[in-house]
Amino acid sequence: MTEEHRLATELKGRAFSLFRRSLHIRTFDSGSCAVCESELRLLSSPYYDLHRLGFFFAPAPRHADLLLVTGPAVRAADTALTKTLEAVPEPRIVVAVGACALGGVFTEDELVHGRVDAVIPVDVYVPGCPPSPLALLHGLLVAVGRLEEKVQTLDFDLRSAKVSA
Amino acid sequence: MFWFLRGIRKGVVTTRYPAAPDPSAARLPTPPAFRVDLLTPDLADLLVAACPPGALRRRDGELLLDLGACTGCGACWEIGGAAVSPSGEFELATRDRDALVKPIRIGGAT
Amino acid sequence: MIHAAAIATSVAAALFLAAAAAGLLGGRRSGLDLAAILSALGGVAALVGGGLVMIHGSGASRTIGATNVVGAVTLRLDPLAAVFIALLGLIAIAIGLFSRRYHEPGYGTSWYLPVFNLALLASLAILVAGNATFFLVAWESMTLFCYLVVLRHHRREGVARAAFLFLSLGELGFALIVAAFAILATRTGTLDLALMAARTHAVSAGWRDAAFVLALLGFGCKAGLVPLHVWLPEAHPAAPADGSGYLSGLVIGLGIFGIALFGFELEPRGPVWWGLLTLAFGVVSALVGVLYALMENDLKRFLAFSSIENIGIVLIALGAAMTFGAYHQPYLRTFLLIAGLYQLVNHGVYKTLLFLEAGVVEHTTGSRDMNALGGLIHRLPKSTVITLIGTLGIAALPPLNGFVSEWLIFQGLFQGFRIDNYLVGILIVVAGASLALTAGLAIMAFARAFGIPYLGMPRSRGAAGASERGQPIAGPALLAVACVALGVGAPLVLTLLDRVARATTGLDIHARLLVPKLTVIPGYTGFSGFSPTYLAVFLVCIAAVPVLIFLAGRPRGATRKAPVWDGGILSFSPRMQYTATTYANPTRVTFDEFYRPEHHVERASDDPAGRSGPVHYRYRVMPIFERYLYVPLVRAVQWLADLVRPIQSGDVNLYLLYILVVVIIAYLIYPY
Repeated sequence: MTEEHRLATELKGRAFSLFRRSLHIRTFDSGSCAVCESELRLLSSPYYDLHRLGFFFAPAPRHADLLLVTGPAVRAADTALTKTLEAVPEPRIVVAVGACALGGVFTEDELVHGRVDAVIPVDVYVPGCPPSPLALLHGLLVAVGRLEEKVQTLDFDLRSAKVSA
Repeated sequence: MFWFLRGIRKGVVTTRYPAAPDPSAARLPTPPAFRVDLLTPDLADLLVAACPPGALRRRDGELLLDLGACTGCGACWEIGGAAVSPSGEFELATRDRDALVKPIRIGGAT
Repeated sequence: MIHAAAIATSVAAALFLAAAAAGLLGGRRSGLDLAAILSALGGVAALVGGGLVMIHGSGASRTIGATNVVGAVTLRLDPLAAVFIALLGLIAIAIGLFSRRYHEPGYGTSWYLPVFNLALLASLAILVAGNATFFLVAWESMTLFCYLVVLRHHRREGVARAAFLFLSLGELGFALIVAAFAILATRTGTLDLALMAARTHAVSAGWRDAAFVLALLGFGCKAGLVPLHVWLPEAHPAAPADGSGYLSGLVIGLGIFGIALFGFELEPRGPVWWGLLTLAFGVVSALVGVLYALMENDLKRFLAFSSIENIGIVLIALGAAMTFGAYHQPYLRTFLLIAGLYQLVNHGVYKTLLFLEAGVVEHTTGSRDMNALGGLIHRLPKSTVITLIGTLGIAALPPLNGFVSEWLIFQGLFQGFRIDNYLVGILIVVAGASLALTAGLAIMAFARAFGIPYLGMPRSRGAAGASERGQPIAGPALLAVACVALGVGAPLVLTLLDRVARATTGLDIHARLLVPKLTVIPGYTGFSGFSPTYLAVFLVCIAAVPVLIFLAGRPRGATRKAPVWDGGILSFSPRMQYTATTYANPTRVTFDEFYRPEHHVERASDDPAGRSGPVHYRYRVMPIFERYLYVPLVRAVQWLADLVRPIQSGDVNLYLLYILVVVIIAYLIYPY
């Protein structure tokens, strides 16, 4: 991406560090198979314990800092998704979770957009199908700037030292 | 009766992630990593056809691995043999969608 | 001043008569307007007359000639009656202003308006009657004119039956009232009310008890005492809105006037059980009234039941007053009389307001069913504000009038410990607890009656099409102002009522009622006290605080306005809202031993999810009094009539035999 875009994104990332130790997450299901939601539910279990990081699930988008979207953005949920995003007060972060939301699995047709960022702007992408609770934790911590992104440095080449096999 | 004693006996069960690596991470389904030297164009075409979510694509002399589309199903390393293995990488979150499309050089002999 | 009051009252009577005459021209707009204005002016005169008598604090009477039909006609201006005269005046002004826009000129209006104004005249006559026969004649004419008022839309379904119920129970009441007056008149040897009052202490206890009970039941028929109330929920909705307002605001007040007349003027020193009996009737009426009100979806039937509840509250006050009197607590007796009269005046004001507004709603939406209304706040903004004031008044929320009068009644009841009989003291406290239950249920009932029709979204096309153009505003607005004034200006009202009570009971409790700084105390210092005026000021100031905070703390930076979070719903359907039926469901379930509802569910198919068609759900609250009291009574009367029918066989020979038998008996008795 361009240098400006990179700088803007980095600036945004720093702004999001407002939420470092206290983040309220609102989830939105835009047509997912609900397995990503299962993994999200596990975040509240004693093993992963979201609350120790200061992260909470919010009951309504008005209370939220972060909107977490799963599913391939079915067109039927367009209005609901845009309304939900509008209801989240700024500053806000949007995280797309799962292969469906990132544009894999489903291509655009008359029922789905195929990717969440076709409907609303997305700040952080969390791949996986489903992303395990650990991947989700990593994604959320990246979103608030407590962890650095890692994937940029990986090259998925088994011979190099930068992939753990 | 003293239900909390059971909890005290069990001790702390919470993972120390991200401060320390989590042992269950080793068993997670993850995107593939490649032996570039063993990756032939034919194998590459085979892998592209075999990937159910279409995470693997051909572009010139490269294989494009879209981490965002990969589901960790393992079809590629079942076909690929020694050339493809699970990478074990699950910390893939990023702000840049394009950074999730990784080019893999096809270096193997035909 | 009493002279001026007499003139004012006579002017009022003349104006009502003139309005009746003008009403005959009600086929034209000019006739309708003239009748309405004259009626309103008559109301002004009555208000002035009643007010002057109350200020003057004592009455006067005059006897006019002697005709052979009714004997001497004595007219009197009595402070107790003056309260009702003033109320009649206020209601007449409001209804006069209202009827200008409510009625359409035409044939029906041309007979309705004269009848209505004659009903007003008859009510005025009852209130100025000084002797028993004039009172009874006026009472009966009032009943008949009100019957005709109810029959305004006689071609509509159910109206004739409602009017008949009204008349039959009215006549039953009348018979009992005649009996009561007859007993007192024969025992005291006079028909003049003032003389009667002076002589009743000499009448033996048994006759006095009988007279009181007959009067309680007879006037109770008119007031809407449970179980003599069955005509009220039928007749008040059947009448047109201004008629309903008048019936509910004043006519049932006349029943209370009669009970107060007997309990405080004619037979002031009654035994304890009179007070307890009245108290018991009051408690039952209040509870039954509000419980049935909660089950009603028809706006006007609901208001009718609410009237029954308020009458119950007034009777609680009057009954407690009589009880305190019997236990030598004169201050509390006078205090509760004042409280009861205050509650009645307040009821007259806000109930009339609510009925008039119900008429506006019915007129503009075509429906009285709460389940078909909704969203009227956007379509009828001024009417909504007026109705809201009336609703807050009747729900007894500070600082309005209903709150003040209910507070007074509660404070009177709380002082039951001053009675040295434990049992009676406990009974009074139980009455207080029932009143508290009633007040709570009333708040819920009126939250429903205001919220469902006025707030939310319209539930039918009629409600969606409502508009305020051409709807009467002035009349109800006047009553709304009166609600606020009677609440905030309570010290003034209490001063007047204190003078009335002084004239009626002979005791002046002004010093024990109003203390400096516009504070009201309940008959005894050191028990409690509050100031309605200061409370109103305080509430207004309190409301200003969040406004000031908002204005001071408004964010200076750019703000983004987003719509209210609604769950991301695409569109709202009126079907998603509460209905009146569901809002009252907790009460229905809690009190189902009392209601014993009959449920009826009809499905289009056996599919439990109802997929093949709509599911119809009907429920009916069991009409206890109709089923267990009236129907058996009517059947007994019919059985008796069947038994006696053979006497009237239609056979001329049998009739000749009767004549023969009677003549023979006469001859046999004659020598003796």
